[in-house]
Amino acid sequence: MTAPLLRTSLIGTAFVIFVSACSESTPHYYAAENPLRLSDWNLFTREGSNLVPNDASMVFRPANQLFSDYSQKLRTLWMPDDSQAHLVDEEIEYPVGTVISKTFYYPTDTDGHVLKQIDLAERQIDLSRNKIIETRLMVRRDASWDAFPYVWNEEETEAFLRIAGSSIPINLKSDTGDHDFVYFVPNENQCSGCHVTSHPAGDMHPLGAIATQLTAAFDYPKNNTELQIDKLVARGWLTKKTSGSSPVSWRDEAANLEARALSYLNIQCGHCHNPEGPADTSSLILDGSHKFLINMGVCKTPVAAGGGSGDMLYSIVPGAPDRSILLYRMRSSELDEMMPELGRSLIHSEGISLISRWIGQLPGSCS
Amino acid sequence: MSTHVLQTLTILGCASLLFTCGQDQPSAPALSFEEALQEQLILAEPGDLILIPAGTHELTRSLSLNVPGVTIRGEGIDTSILSFKNQIQGAEGLLVNADDFVIEDVAIEDTVGDALKINESNNITIRNVRTEWTGGALTSNGAYGIYPVQSSNILIEGAVAIGASDAGIYVGQSTRIIVRNSVAEYNVAGIEIENSTFADVHSNVATNNTGGILVFDLPNLPVQGGRNTRVFNNHIANNNTANFAPEGNIVGDVPAGTGLMILANDNIEVFGNQFTDNDSAQIIIVSYYITERPFEDPNYDPFPESIFIHDNQFDGGGETPDSEPLIALQQATQKAIPAVVWDGAAVPDKAPQQILCLADNGDLSFVNLDAGNEFAAPSFNIAPHACTLPELPEISLGSAK
Repeated sequence: MTAPLLRTSLIGTAFVIFVSACSESTPHYYAAENPLRLSDWNLFTREGSNLVPNDASMVFRPANQLFSDYSQKLRTLWMPDDSQAHLVDEEIEYPVGTVISKTFYYPTDTDGHVLKQIDLAERQIDLSRNKIIETRLMVRRDASWDAFPYVWNEEETEAFLRIAGSSIPINLKSDTGDHDFVYFVPNENQCSGCHVTSHPAGDMHPLGAIATQLTAAFDYPKNNTELQIDKLVARGWLTKKTSGSSPVSWRDEAANLEARALSYLNIQCGHCHNPEGPADTSSLILDGSHKFLINMGVCKTPVAAGGGSGDMLYSIVPGAPDRSILLYRMRSSELDEMMPELGRSLIHSEGISLISRWIGQLPGSCS
Repeated sequence: MSTHVLQTLTILGCASLLFTCGQDQPSAPALSFEEALQEQLILAEPGDLILIPAGTHELTRSLSLNVPGVTIRGEGIDTSILSFKNQIQGAEGLLVNADDFVIEDVAIEDTVGDALKINESNNITIRNVRTEWTGGALTSNGAYGIYPVQSSNILIEGAVAIGASDAGIYVGQSTRIIVRNSVAEYNVAGIEIENSTFADVHSNVATNNTGGILVFDLPNLPVQGGRNTRVFNNHIANNNTANFAPEGNIVGDVPAGTGLMILANDNIEVFGNQFTDNDSAQIIIVSYYITERPFEDPNYDPFPESIFIHDNQFDGGGETPDSEPLIALQQATQKAIPAVVWDGAAVPDKAPQQILCLADNGDLSFVNLDAGNEFAAPSFNIAPHACTLPELPEISLGSAK
């Protein structure tokens, strides 16, 4: 059994590295081992009550974000000195040593209660008015990307490697009342459940720090003046930008309803429901690459939905959201029914409302 | 950033607990049993043995394994128990996507969905494993107990599967399969081989299920063309439990009281079995049309062919059928349903001997339901099926241990 051995060797390494971490200004890349403590990566500093990303990192925010039980997310990207990402087939190929972090947290009120708010798009975390949960890392190593989570301690002084994930009870306050739920930190296998989009033999890769999602300003859709992909080029981190335009934000009330709905389905479902993904067996393709409407779910019968079909006949019935399995599974919190299967305990009311409106105005019928 | 600021930050960092440079670092939390077990599964290396100690271990989240060459071993089917009755995350108990996998001497209980799912893996051994829903035969139970799918070289032996709302032991879309010396009871389907090829199902006990053993081939699945299964030396008895599958599911169509059902599968040899008191019929052989489900699949063959049933023992059964055509038949004849029921649906130019042969089964009763003509003229004449077909070869598994 390898676990105790690894732990032992890491403690030894951590001590040596530790000294260097305190004298370095940039994040530290570990080529093989995963340190037990997040601080060893030197990704954040503590300034007063603020958790501040290392200055050498770039804080970024994809144009569309995965719903994760209304948690806020602070994302950082860092590449080692003298290394650069390249564009390959219009996608960013990051150099070995790249470290991407995503920290999940919730705003709190003065009594420390956790609050439901829409995406705040912050660049640092004030720990005096937020509860910090976990920090996930994706690290580009020689052979592949690796992904693993760190869970913050109660004192918010350190986060520890938890490759088996963790379960954290949360009481979330919202306008519509309290939601008691268990927040799930994914285990490493669950990380690859989403980040390996080609099944079963594909490689892990980022889903947010990709060319399309970065072709947008940090606070998109509020404004779109300073594209993050341009900032990558300006920093010298990317050889050249893509020719693509900004994707439609599902939050953009001014945008076309169908485009918003497809953007939403792509970011929530497309990592599995794509032509190579683990959900391709269902022939339901939601990453936007479907050739026929039936593959997007319109009048498509289920294959192996089990109870997830909710006794309905089709994924999407035009004009009838309440008879559409796709929406039924978004509305469900039952483990063997809900979609996505992973990454949420709560239902996403705003997403349901969008998809419901979109299905409601689709023309046609299934009979 | 100026040097001065940098220094200040460094000092700040080192002074704060976040970057503790001294000995007072916050300590890592202890891991629970399930966290430690999942960590072992992730950190495992090929060749590793992971032990499940004796005791009932409560788990709240699905376990998963992606590393090939791993063995999970408990201390016994009633001794080392992974209980998911408080499960709050995941659609399975243990999900395996890894070749050369062995699991033995352990029980998985009360999962929300499937108990043990093995997806797209080769060389799988499941030995002395129990999967059970402990509350009895409930629709809310998970679908499958032991569930290898799109896999190959599968050995299931000494398994016990109880209470699945679909199938206790279910092998789907797979090839080269042995299921032996196992027990399936109080499931909708006891043992099911579906859209699979080259399977030996032998020396098992299937009792008190809705249907004891099912051999199915269904349309519109990525892998189809189910054929070459031998069902032999099994004890298939009292499979009379009312069907409790969720609605819409294909096994929901299986009548209570089915011993063995063959649906649209080809090249099936059934011999040396003891069939006892299955009260719809001991053996039912049907085409996919009997389901009355539409399908559009030009590559799909909805008819069973080359079914050879010989040297079996039949006792009782057929007394209280749970199927409209069988009930009608019983009312018309005032007799128990014959031991072997064939729906009679076939490609028109096929001879009876190409579809079904019955030999050396003692004083066997038989009916052709004439389903193709709305059950107009059922025939009890066994003579057209008094024939033999070539025996199928034994299945040998490549490298399953």
